[in-house]
Amino acid sequence: MLRTIALTVVNEFRLLARDAIGLFMLVLAPLVIIAVAGFSLSNLFGAQPRDTLYTLPIVNDDGGPVADALARALARAPGLKPVQVPTVEAARAIVNGTVRAPLALIIPRGTSAAIARGGDARLRLYIDPIKRVELSPLEFQIDALCRAVTIAARAEAADRDAQAAADLRARSRRVAATVAEVQKTLAAYQEQAAGARNRAEALVKAQLERRMQAAIAQARQQTELAIRQAAARTEATLTHELAVRSQAAQAIASYLLALQRSEAAFARWLTQLKEAAGPHASAIPAPPAFPPAPSAATVAALTQPLDLSEAERPLSEASPVAPFRDQSITVALPPAPPLPQLPLDRLRNDLAAIATLPVPVVPGVLGWEEAPAAGASLNVNAFDQYVPGFGITFLLIAMLMGLAMGLIDERDWGTLSRLRVSGAPLSGTVIGKLTARFLVGYLQMIALLVFGRWLFDVSLGQTPAMLLVPAAAIAFAAAAFSLVVACVARTHDSVMPIGTVSAMAMSAIGGCWWPLDFEPTWMRTVADFLPTTWTMIAFNNLMIRGLPPSSAIWPSLAATALGFGFVIVGLAAASRAYR
Amino acid sequence: MAFATAMGENEAVTSNPPVLLEAATLSKSFGARQVLDCVSLRLAAGEIVGLLGPNGAGKTTTLSILATLLAPDAGEVRLGGRRLRGASDQLRAIGYVPQAIALYRSLSAAQNLALFARLHGMSRREAREATRRALDDVGLAERYRDTVAVLSGGMQRRLNLACGMVHRPQLLLLDEPTVGVDPQSREQILGTISRAAANGAGVIYSTHYMEEVERICTRAYLIDRGRVVAAGSIAELIAMGGARPVMEINCRNAPATNCFAGLSGVAPLARAYTNGRLQVQIESVALVDTVLARARAAGAQVVEFSVHNPNLSDAFIALTGHELRDPA
Repeated sequence: MLRTIALTVVNEFRLLARDAIGLFMLVLAPLVIIAVAGFSLSNLFGAQPRDTLYTLPIVNDDGGPVADALARALARAPGLKPVQVPTVEAARAIVNGTVRAPLALIIPRGTSAAIARGGDARLRLYIDPIKRVELSPLEFQIDALCRAVTIAARAEAADRDAQAAADLRARSRRVAATVAEVQKTLAAYQEQAAGARNRAEALVKAQLERRMQAAIAQARQQTELAIRQAAARTEATLTHELAVRSQAAQAIASYLLALQRSEAAFARWLTQLKEAAGPHASAIPAPPAFPPAPSAATVAALTQPLDLSEAERPLSEASPVAPFRDQSITVALPPAPPLPQLPLDRLRNDLAAIATLPVPVVPGVLGWEEAPAAGASLNVNAFDQYVPGFGITFLLIAMLMGLAMGLIDERDWGTLSRLRVSGAPLSGTVIGKLTARFLVGYLQMIALLVFGRWLFDVSLGQTPAMLLVPAAAIAFAAAAFSLVVACVARTHDSVMPIGTVSAMAMSAIGGCWWPLDFEPTWMRTVADFLPTTWTMIAFNNLMIRGLPPSSAIWPSLAATALGFGFVIVGLAAASRAYR
Repeated sequence: MAFATAMGENEAVTSNPPVLLEAATLSKSFGARQVLDCVSLRLAAGEIVGLLGPNGAGKTTTLSILATLLAPDAGEVRLGGRRLRGASDQLRAIGYVPQAIALYRSLSAAQNLALFARLHGMSRREAREATRRALDDVGLAERYRDTVAVLSGGMQRRLNLACGMVHRPQLLLLDEPTVGVDPQSREQILGTISRAAANGAGVIYSTHYMEEVERICTRAYLIDRGRVVAAGSIAELIAMGGARPVMEINCRNAPATNCFAGLSGVAPLARAYTNGRLQVQIESVALVDTVLARARAAGAQVVEFSVHNPNLSDAFIALTGHELRDPA
């Protein structure tokens, strides 16, 4: 038994020593993955970003001392490369682009003024939510800067206020002295003015008495004259009125007399007429007319009231108050005491200086707030990263098993040779396999996205149909990559170690497992040559950043171009490896 | 070098049927190892020509060149008088049956056949018909739906042959098509090949089974270490090895080849005896006892012995100094 065990152990070591693939798997493969993961995630574990330089786009709309202080501090910060950009849109474009920029700093207009006024101000950080882990240190850094700026502003304000208070005290003392001086001068002047006023009052009183006496006498004369004139006017008026009524009465009397005569004449005439007419009385003409009656106006004049308007006319201009009305008094007042010289200029200057002293203000707090750079949510559904990310990883592995192993198997089975002799050129066979595997991979990616939506509620972006573009790009590139692996690996057994290590490395470096910006700069540069990188950028733009469909076009084209590169290399290598 | 002159270097042409294939002075090296050295051969339509040699002799390389899978370092091949360049019409004239079971194991027999038929330019209908015919030819008509994986080894060999013949090629290149098959399948395969030749196809039959060559081939090329060591009709080749009977002795321990030195009418065939098997040519069967006595005297413990008329294997040993089954 022991002999068997010992021999088996020895034999296994012998086999292993001749099994390069096994050794590769034992040592190199884990080393590759460890290196990729270690370098990528070193920042996550707090390593100093020696060669990781984050671009920090800054939009300085404030232009004040707060903005300047922030800019100076950020310029000194390790691992940061502040870049001044003119507009928020430009800053957001940088964050959403391929530059390593987790956030953009916007210093809004009036930030410095608001802080100085004692109000709070907030910096706006436009963040890429995919880079949440990298954001945190930067946000901590900015938060510390905000606190430092606030503290510095308050310390500066405290110094300024202390100096202003001392100045105010000195000015106040000087104003108080000036005011006392003015009070004293004014008291003296008040005494002088009181004496002058008393004298002037006496003069005015005497002159007023004289004037009053004269005016009363004049008023009496004028009143008597006015009364006489009014009596004369009344008498004339009454005379005239009586004459008018007498004339009217005479007219009435004349009428009544004429009427009496006419009546007698009529009676005679009528008698004569009747006698003369006999039977012809009916032919008697109309009797003569009576004299006309006095006019209605004549009769009315007798009943009219007396017109005494002329008699009731006022006493005219000769009013007895007139002498009082136009009297002016001119008093020769004694001269006023001269105004004293007051230190008003000094007082005004001092008071003006006090008025302009700044009001002590406690500066406000400088804070910050997040906003999504791309307009999407600040919170990321982790499956938005992992569904496409691990989908790509398993797509690559599936391609390796399907295409690379299939190609090698066909070579080993002899079917590849047989196909060639059957009129199928190697390139045609390879392209046919690529096409088939591309379609399978494409469906695989679509299925993963559908299941991701169903199971994990992943975001499908503004235009879900656009996800088909990067899915097609990576399916093509993965198929092409597996062709290259099929040419490098050469044997069935070496496909999986070489292929899976390559696929996992491509996935890791390409941002399928974690955000691209985790990686150091050199690795990020390597990532630019991987289709996984560009595909993940496209998926992230659509699914996480919520960018418009156009944002996925260039990354998808880049992935496709790399896929074409793989195809060219693969076909060239296949013509050597499989011929 | 003129093509005809080159042909004449290795071969004595015994008849003048219509020439289908001519290969002249083919050479091929893989790195420093030369696997073919000025190999020339000729094939007429309807003729079955054997390519006989031990493993590693260069048979598969020769067939690969003839099938356009490999380009020779030197020499050229003409098919139907035209230089073989792998043009599609030339490929349609070639049927290649590799030594490996070059089939899709997860596809059915009919699907495999239909694929190769379609690749050779047949329409779907033609391919269906050709598939049915090829399955009949190799006796697998009833198994057409079965996947290759479930067929026996012999059936897979037959299907392998059928896939190379499904489009009825003018030239059939067969690379050890009967390796590891049961007698029934062997018969089926040899019968199918014979019928193809009878229908006008030229066949190059690579094998190290000299019995098969003797049975179905009209001519053969003996290849060893990349060179054609002999060519001609079967009878001519056998004659090259000598017309005397061959005595074969199986011993538990083989004596040295020089143990028969001095015996008149006795000549060892091989330079060394392997696996305790002695092969000597004897002038007449009367020398059998003398040979046995000399072998025993040399220390050999004789298990059995036999005497037979000379065959291709004996000729090969006589010409190369080692057996067909020995690696080249």
